[in-house]
Amino acid sequence: MARMALRADASRYLLGYVWWLLEPLLFVAVFYVVFELILDSGRGDFLVFLMCGKLAFIWFSKSVNQASNSIPANKGLIGRINVTKTLFPLSVIQEGLYRQMAVFLLLFSFLFVSGYSPDPTWVYLLPIILVNYLMIVACSFIGAGLVCMVRDFSMIISLGMTFLLFTSGVFWDVRALGDPDKTAMVLALNPLAFILDAYRQVLMHNTAPDWLHLFQIGLGSVALLIIIVLLMRRSSQFLALRALS
Amino acid sequence: MSGGDREVMLALENVSLSYHSSRKSFDHGSHHVLDSVSLQVYEGETLGIIGRNGVGKSTMLRLMAGILAPTSGKVWQRPGKTSSLLTIGLGFRPDLSGRDNAMLAAMLQGASARQARSYLEEIKEFSELGDSFEERVKTYSSGMLARLGFTTALKTHVDILLIDEVLSVGDAQFREKAEAAMKSRISSDQTVVFVSHMEGQVREICNRAVCLYKGAILAEGDPADVLKAYNDIG
Repeated sequence: MARMALRADASRYLLGYVWWLLEPLLFVAVFYVVFELILDSGRGDFLVFLMCGKLAFIWFSKSVNQASNSIPANKGLIGRINVTKTLFPLSVIQEGLYRQMAVFLLLFSFLFVSGYSPDPTWVYLLPIILVNYLMIVACSFIGAGLVCMVRDFSMIISLGMTFLLFTSGVFWDVRALGDPDKTAMVLALNPLAFILDAYRQVLMHNTAPDWLHLFQIGLGSVALLIIIVLLMRRSSQFLALRALS
Repeated sequence: MSGGDREVMLALENVSLSYHSSRKSFDHGSHHVLDSVSLQVYEGETLGIIGRNGVGKSTMLRLMAGILAPTSGKVWQRPGKTSSLLTIGLGFRPDLSGRDNAMLAAMLQGASARQARSYLEEIKEFSELGDSFEERVKTYSSGMLARLGFTTALKTHVDILLIDEVLSVGDAQFREKAEAAMKSRISSDQTVVFVSHMEGQVREICNRAVCLYKGAILAEGDPADVLKAYNDIG
């Protein structure tokens, strides 16, 4: 059932296929203009640095933002068929995953062209991407549940994404804060900052991520996910009433 | 008056539904849609539900379809039976083609991918959408949406068909065809619950009717009598 919805969603986006790559690239371009050309980041590898962080960040923020609004957005279907409400955020997330696969390919090609040749340590990306995905699913489901209950959460979530954009080290380097304690604190408090940094460590420096930390984030996401899925299953009809009224 | 010795397919027992509309404060925002309604639907019958706008007809169908849960009371459906709610317009994903929507609807109603695919040509043909079937639903007129919705539900076999106003739109020619298809389903023991504003349709198609008024059942029984009660509300 879910697979069908996903396939259908993917087909919808085939029309705007070019946008899969163009949109994230335009975002990167905007940041490049501001932080390199205008503010002068002072690092030679800024474009690579930016792309490693920004492209993964867009995946997270866009998926969570869209998935959060997915239950009210599908109120037509919800008013007609009693389905598990997690289907709607999940189908948005899967769309995002397909798009992100293309984006990652583009990122790897760009790195290759820029002189960062593929390295065996790039295998470490697989667990990082998996944990990143689990974070997206957990946050999306929570967001979708909240927005369905009270629409106003939609505003708070998009504001939260802007907050994360500034606090996760997308265009600044967590490791260049000057104070190692501060770096440790940011990485500990903000799982997204940790993930973005992990991408960079692997892709740019061929260094393995902090496995324990990565595992903790993954485990935390799975635990949250189980709780929210159980809650949404139990309150499926209540969520339908909220979505429809 | 009732379905005689036929088996009950679906039953509402003292069902009430109310919700708080979010903008108003506690008591004043509470909106009672249905108030202690009891009703049985028997196997193979066609039950008509009539009533003014906003009286709770659509909500009642949604309760029957298990989409909403009652605030109090019980909704019972015979185990192992499937039901499907058919409404106009809503329920489609506007960015997908008619074909994808039909496929999605069939699968969400429990058909396997292969079964759903096998219905598609039949749906395309009966709905007379032609090439529009491959186009995005966004571009459809309300009549075309009704055709697609009605046909999809008609062709994806369910035990209890819950129909909300679908037959009221579409042009006369398609309406006739839809009514004819409904009648043949009815004679083949399809259980149907049917909401309509069109008295002629209720009189012609239904074996039994219910009139809702202010969230409660005003009259129940022979369609002609119930329609009379409905018209007496004024």
